[in-house]
Amino acid sequence: MSKKIWYYLRKTAIFIAGVFILTLVVFFISRLAPIDPLQSYYGERVEKMSVEEKNIARDRLGLNEPVFTQYFKWLDNAFHGDFGISYKYKQDALELIGERIGNTLILGGIGFIIIFLGSLGLGLWCARRENSLFDRIVCKLGTILSCVPEFWLALVLILVFCVMLRILPSSGAYSVTAANESGLAALGDRIAHLILPLTVVVLEHLWYYAYIVRNKCLEEIRADYVLLGRAIGLTKRRVVYRHCLRNLMPSYLSIMAIAVPHILGGTYIVETVFSYPGIGSLAYESARFADYNMLMLLCVLTGIVVIFFNMLAQILNEHIDPRIRAEQTVSGRRTADFRQEPK
Amino acid sequence: MKKKNRLPIASLVILGLIVLGCLMADMISVKDPSYLDLANYTKAPSKEFIFGTDTLGRDIFSCIWHGGRVSILIGLFATLISTFIAVVYGSVSGMASDFIDTIMMRITEIILSIPSLLIIIFLQAILGASNILSISIVIGVTSWCSIAKLVRTEVRQLRKSEYIIASKSMGGGFFFILFHHLLPNFMSSVMFMIVMNIRSAIVTESTLSFIGLGLPLEIISWGSMLSNAEKALMTNAWWIILIPGVFLVAVLLCVSDLGNWLRGRLNPTDKKV
Repeated sequence: MSKKIWYYLRKTAIFIAGVFILTLVVFFISRLAPIDPLQSYYGERVEKMSVEEKNIARDRLGLNEPVFTQYFKWLDNAFHGDFGISYKYKQDALELIGERIGNTLILGGIGFIIIFLGSLGLGLWCARRENSLFDRIVCKLGTILSCVPEFWLALVLILVFCVMLRILPSSGAYSVTAANESGLAALGDRIAHLILPLTVVVLEHLWYYAYIVRNKCLEEIRADYVLLGRAIGLTKRRVVYRHCLRNLMPSYLSIMAIAVPHILGGTYIVETVFSYPGIGSLAYESARFADYNMLMLLCVLTGIVVIFFNMLAQILNEHIDPRIRAEQTVSGRRTADFRQEPK
Repeated sequence: MKKKNRLPIASLVILGLIVLGCLMADMISVKDPSYLDLANYTKAPSKEFIFGTDTLGRDIFSCIWHGGRVSILIGLFATLISTFIAVVYGSVSGMASDFIDTIMMRITEIILSIPSLLIIIFLQAILGASNILSISIVIGVTSWCSIAKLVRTEVRQLRKSEYIIASKSMGGGFFFILFHHLLPNFMSSVMFMIVMNIRSAIVTESTLSFIGLGLPLEIISWGSMLSNAEKALMTNAWWIILIPGVFLVAVLLCVSDLGNWLRGRLNPTDKKV
C-alpha cells in the first residue's frame, strides 16, 4: 500500500516540476521577444507616445524590472490566484478565459466524444470485415484525410457549405441576432455554427484512432480464444463485441488519453479559421500581440492539460502492463510509443 | 492475408513530377509569379491563366511551381535541422550514463508536453520578420524530440556491441563513433520518421503561413498562397483555395506513402494500409 502512495507521490512531484519548468521557459522566452507589449496595451496610440511616457507606462506595468523579479512576482501572484490583466482587453486574464473556455470545451468535448465512440465503432466494424470493399474504402479515405491539413479542410468546407450552398454560417459561435431569440431558436443557431468546426475536428482525428483500433482488433481476432469462441458456436460479431472489445479497452483508453492534447491542439487552429471565440483564437492573438499575462496563463493551462493527460496515459499503461514499469528501471522509459507517427 | 510491401511507384512518380516541376519553375511558368496583374485579378482558369489568378492578380500556375520550391525546401531544411539535433542529442543520451540519460529523456518529455504550435508561435515572434531560413529553423528546433527518443533507444542497444567497445578502447572520439559506427546502424530504422518529419514540417509551414504567422504574402509558398483565402471566399473563387491545396495534399500523401513503405520494410510483420 505504501508503495502505491509513493508511486502517486512521485507522479505528482513530476507533474508539479513539469508545470513549474513550463512556466519558467514560457516566461523567459516571451520576455526575450522583440515585440513591444505596450503595443497590445495602447494599440495605435503607442506611435505617438514620447519616450518618457512609454517609460512611465512600462513602470506601471512592471516591465522595467529585471526579468527574474518579474517572474517571481508573477509566480507569487499566481499562487494567490491573480494572473494579471490582459493588456489587450484590459480585463482580468482569468475572467476573460473563463468567458471563452466554455466555447472551446463544447467544441473539444463534443468532438472528443464523437471521436472516442466513432473510432471505436468504425475500427471494430472494419476489423470484422477485414479486406472487404468497405474496409478498404475506409482505410484509403482515412489515409487521404490524415494528410489534409486542418486549415485547408476547414477552408474547403467553408467554400462548399457557406459560399456555394449557403446553408451554414462560416464564422463565430452564434449570430448577432441570436441574443433576442427564444431558447430553441438560439440553440438551433448555436448548433448550426458548431457543425463545420466540429466536422473538421472529428474528421482530422477519427480515422487515425479508428485505424489503431482496427489493427489492435485484428491482432485479437487471430488469438486462440476467438477460435474457441467460434468453435463453440458463437457468432463472430458476438466474439468481437463481447470478448475482443474487453481486451482492447484498456489500451484504447490510454491512447485516447494521449489524444486529448492532440485534439485540443487541433481545435486551436480550427478556432482561428472559423473565428470561433474560444481560447484557441485567444492564444493566437496573445502570441501575436505580446499579451504576456494572457499568454502565460494560456500556456500554463494548456501545459497542465497536456502533462496531465500524458501522465494519465502512462499510469494507465503501467496498470495494464506491469512490464512497462519494470522496463523503465532497466532501460529507461518508453511512453511515447504511440506517438511514433507524428501527427 | 499479409500484403506485400511494394515500392510505392505511383507516389514516387507523382512526387517526382511535382518536384521536377518546381525545380524547372522558371522554364514551365510563362508568367512572373510575383507580378501583380491588376487588370486580371481573381480570374477563373482560362487559356491564358491555366489555374486562374488570385486576388492580387498573380498567375496561380506560376505561383504553384515557385511556391512549391519554397514549401518543399522548408520541409527538407527543417527536417535536416531537426534530424541533426535529434541524432546528436539521442546519441549523447544513449551513450551517456544512466543518470544523465534519464535527465535528458525527461527534458524531451517536458518539451513534448508543451503544445508545439505555441512554441512555434513564440519563436516566430522572437525571430521577428520571417523568411525561409527563420521559419525552417523554428520548425526544425521544435520537432526533433520524437526522433531523438528513437535514436536513443537504438543507440542504447548498439552501445554494448564489441565493435563500439573496440573503437572506444582504441581512442575513438564520440563523433568518430557516432558517424562511423552508430549512424550507419540506426539510420535505416530512423529513416521513416525522418520522412514523416518532412511531411509534418510542410504542414506546419503552410498552417503558419496561412494564419499569418509564417511567410508573408510576398514570399510565395503553398501556405502563403492560401493566406488570402478569406478574400477569395467572398468572391466564390474556388480555384484560389482548391488548387494550391490539392498540390499540398498530393505531396503530403506521396511523402507519407513513402514513409509507410520505409516503415514496412523495417518491420515486415507490420501490417500495412
